[in-house]
Amino acid sequence: MKLIRNLAPLALSALLLAACGGGDPYVPGSGSPAGAPTTKGNFTAVVSFGTSPSDLGTYTPATAIPNIGTIGGKFTTNSATGTVWVENFAASIGVIITPAEVGFNGQSLKCPAAANPALVRTCTGYAQGGARITSPNGVGHDPVTGLGALTVPVTQQIDNHLASATFGGRFSNTDLIFVEGGLNDLFVQMQIFGAAAGQIQAQAGSGAISVDEANRQLFAAQTAAQEAMKTAALELAAAVRTKILANGGKYVAVATIPDLGNTPFGNSPAVAPARSVLIALSSTFNVWLREGLTNQPVKILDLYNFFNAVVASPSTYGMDNVTTPACDVAKISTITGGQVATGSSLFCNSTPGAIYNTLVSAPAAANDTTWLFADDVHPTKGGHRLLSDIATQQLQSFGWL
Amino acid sequence: MNIKIQVLAAAVLVAGIGSTAQAQDNTFKVGAIRYTTNSKTNGIQGAGVPPGADAETGDATTLLLTYERALTPNIGVELVIGVPPKITARATGTVAFLGDDVLSAKNVAPTLLFNYHFGAPGDTWRPYAGAGINYTKFVSVKSKLAPNVEMSDSTGLAVQLGIDYAPSRDWGLFASIAKVQTKSKLVASGATVLTTEIDFRPTTYSFGVSYRF
Repeated sequence: MKLIRNLAPLALSALLLAACGGGDPYVPGSGSPAGAPTTKGNFTAVVSFGTSPSDLGTYTPATAIPNIGTIGGKFTTNSATGTVWVENFAASIGVIITPAEVGFNGQSLKCPAAANPALVRTCTGYAQGGARITSPNGVGHDPVTGLGALTVPVTQQIDNHLASATFGGRFSNTDLIFVEGGLNDLFVQMQIFGAAAGQIQAQAGSGAISVDEANRQLFAAQTAAQEAMKTAALELAAAVRTKILANGGKYVAVATIPDLGNTPFGNSPAVAPARSVLIALSSTFNVWLREGLTNQPVKILDLYNFFNAVVASPSTYGMDNVTTPACDVAKISTITGGQVATGSSLFCNSTPGAIYNTLVSAPAAANDTTWLFADDVHPTKGGHRLLSDIATQQLQSFGWL
Repeated sequence: MNIKIQVLAAAVLVAGIGSTAQAQDNTFKVGAIRYTTNSKTNGIQGAGVPPGADAETGDATTLLLTYERALTPNIGVELVIGVPPKITARATGTVAFLGDDVLSAKNVAPTLLFNYHFGAPGDTWRPYAGAGINYTKFVSVKSKLAPNVEMSDSTGLAVQLGIDYAPSRDWGLFASIAKVQTKSKLVASGATVLTTEIDFRPTTYSFGVSYRF
């Protein structure tokens, strides 16, 4: 018995030590949303917040060409049939959606469709090209003069919907709510990183700093960019929770951002050397977006994986060119009198036979239904069709359609 | 792994019932332990981590304390504890430029061993071999790369070989070498989320004095 007395504490201590061992540490971003509806919605509105891919024509006035008229307005191959994914999707469920605001250079008109009083409730397309998550200084917006693109940030877009008397400060059970954002924050961070990287490399090249020091500084610059993407993602997730879910939003789909490494932008000579950073910023954003939405009653529209799937196997999705922009940079420059030198699809038109048609015609003529990209990042009409198809598929899998 | 420990603990108790008390049933040892790791990871995963990024843990020396209870003239059960040493890791592979001390942790690592002592009580030289279970908990885990770092606990097998030198009835010297299975999953979150699993594969070298009563 003496032995047992002596040994019992020994054995007990081993047991206790083993018992206090927890499981594996929690991995942020590894969780999932939970509790979103699983039943079909009776949708009477599509409410869309976001950026250029979802923009229904905010900047149309900026694309007015003297003696021709407006040639663009959406970030795709514009034409009578050049619709973006949000419109395609809304039409497929029999809902009309129009821009919440249209304008440029500090002038804008809210809900232009309300000129016809029957359409006053259709102005739920808030997405604006260039918009960031919370910063008003989006891509194409002049922070000093306030001119250029409006770039109302995504969180402000949501506030604007809630402030609209038409909708009574709340979302409805019959709203299908799309939230998409983050890529403009990514472009801003890539620009900051690119500038820093250029300086670091110049210093390393001249021998002012060692290669190891240059690597450490590049690592720090990348970490800062990732930190900014984390902040943006958590802010977007917080807006979904505190502005949308807290105000009656029921059917809420939040998109991940795609991997821009596989776009003409990511493969361009200027960006390709930092392609790994570009990809890291997308995945960083998505990790923290998921983390911020863990256990929230929303669904994730997984554009990141879908987009990579299309690029990996274009023919599966009816695409035959996923590398070349369909819009011709030189033609866009010419038609805009040299004012648009970037080839932005905002000014790209694919109307067959029109003098303002700016599709690539040589060496091969672009096809805006089978080429994926209109410009270096935005989808063609065909690309938008893929996006609306995948949205439909994913919403069907949620049980919402 | 908890089940294993429970079985082991039960075995300890059962083994204890049949035996008769001996003179000099108890041995305390105090000494130095050199913890040499030969770590490998399964790579470091996470957004923004370049391919080929890795890390390697360093060695540490600390104070060792053990208590052994003889169950029979040849078999004893030994609890090994020590002042938790600080283990640090340096970046290797494609991120070697990040340098030393990318991670530090203290490992609290009690080990319960069954030893077989060759020879007979009273022999001046008695080699012994043992096997048992090690439990390691990592505390004070820090990284200059991420504000939040967590490491999972490890439970694994431990084996040792040692020798006791007993010139007098109660005081003696000992030396031993042990291999311990120690694996831990690490999650570091800051700007991004990094994960890896470290297999420390440590070998420990101990020596010191023993006191028997």
